[in-house]
Amino acid sequence: MKVQCELCPKNCVISPGQSGECRVRVNIDGVLRTVVYGYPCSINVDPIEKKPMAHFLPGTGILSIATVGCNLHCRFCQNWEISQANPEETPAIFYSREKLFWSPQDLVDITKKAGCPSLAYTYTDPIVYYEYTYDTAKLAREAGIRNVLVTAGYINEEPWKRLLKFIDGANIDLKGFTDEFYINVCSATLKPVLNALILAKANGVIVEVTNLIIPTLNDKPEEIRQLCRWMKANLGGETPLHFSRFFPRHKMLNLPPTSTETLDLARTIAVEEGLEHVYIGNIASKEGQNTYCPGCKSLLVERSGYTILQNKLKDGTCPKCGRAIYGVWK
Amino acid sequence: MTRRKFIYRVVKAGSVILVGAAWLAKKAAPRRFVRAVRHDKYPGPLRPPYGIFEQGKWSG
Repeated sequence: MKVQCELCPKNCVISPGQSGECRVRVNIDGVLRTVVYGYPCSINVDPIEKKPMAHFLPGTGILSIATVGCNLHCRFCQNWEISQANPEETPAIFYSREKLFWSPQDLVDITKKAGCPSLAYTYTDPIVYYEYTYDTAKLAREAGIRNVLVTAGYINEEPWKRLLKFIDGANIDLKGFTDEFYINVCSATLKPVLNALILAKANGVIVEVTNLIIPTLNDKPEEIRQLCRWMKANLGGETPLHFSRFFPRHKMLNLPPTSTETLDLARTIAVEEGLEHVYIGNIASKEGQNTYCPGCKSLLVERSGYTILQNKLKDGTCPKCGRAIYGVWK
Repeated sequence: MTRRKFIYRVVKAGSVILVGAAWLAKKAAPRRFVRAVRHDKYPGPLRPPYGIFEQGKWSG
């Protein structure tokens, strides 16, 4: 008997023995099963700045997990070796020789052992290991650990709302601002992503947005301007935006890395459109890596790569003008 | 055959066809899931946990 997975907008109809587009949600005997629950392919402690999250506990480590699989197939994917892999061919990490499975409680325990105040579901897309993310996030919340999603936000509304109850922060990719880009380059569509962004913000999640700028594909100033206008109107000017530098990867080896000029231009456009916190990532950038007060323009958090050089914030407010800065600071 | 009997037979046949069509449609439609059930066994290879407390090599 066929099953239909209604987790993401692809709504895959899956024949017995087959998987959905994500490769990890499988029809076994007429039941939809997740074959990666409890089997992460990556567990590491990263600086939170790497997610990137600039307004969420800066300078702290974050336990970061992923399983294989993704519901998108971006031609430029930087992590394609795990996101576009079959679980049959990709090693997962076992917990111990006696107990192979990493339970949600094991992840919470290792987060505490690592001294991390937060746990990230990242690298591939936590949407495809939804049940694992959900169960772990629920336990982590009870244990006082904050949960961060790094995702493309390609999910149906009902499961997204259910998951958001346990999520504190999210970096959501807005990969482009046209349906054409999403369809041709990512095998997805734009509207569900916009909806996911609005819902996350409305549910009190600290949302940061990443836009990877790819030469010739989504780098038109007018498209960037439209994206920024949409963000300002729907997410608010305080929502941080990260413009990220593209490097040729996966199926997109024919394009050059994004130029510094394009990234600087994008940042200028975003500031013109009223976004208060605009960052540039994947490249050294003096202005584009620091946090400034949107009110008095004074430097609040100075960074060098993933390192915090100084953090002048006082209880999440600017020490000079007293303005509250969007984010989670302690 | 009386008219009453004829109508009774037509209605009965129609009902049988409707019930059959509904059963077939239900059988042919996929079962719908949002939440998947955990599968006990990982289908691929497994490796020991090492380097957990180090920075990950993947982007994000």
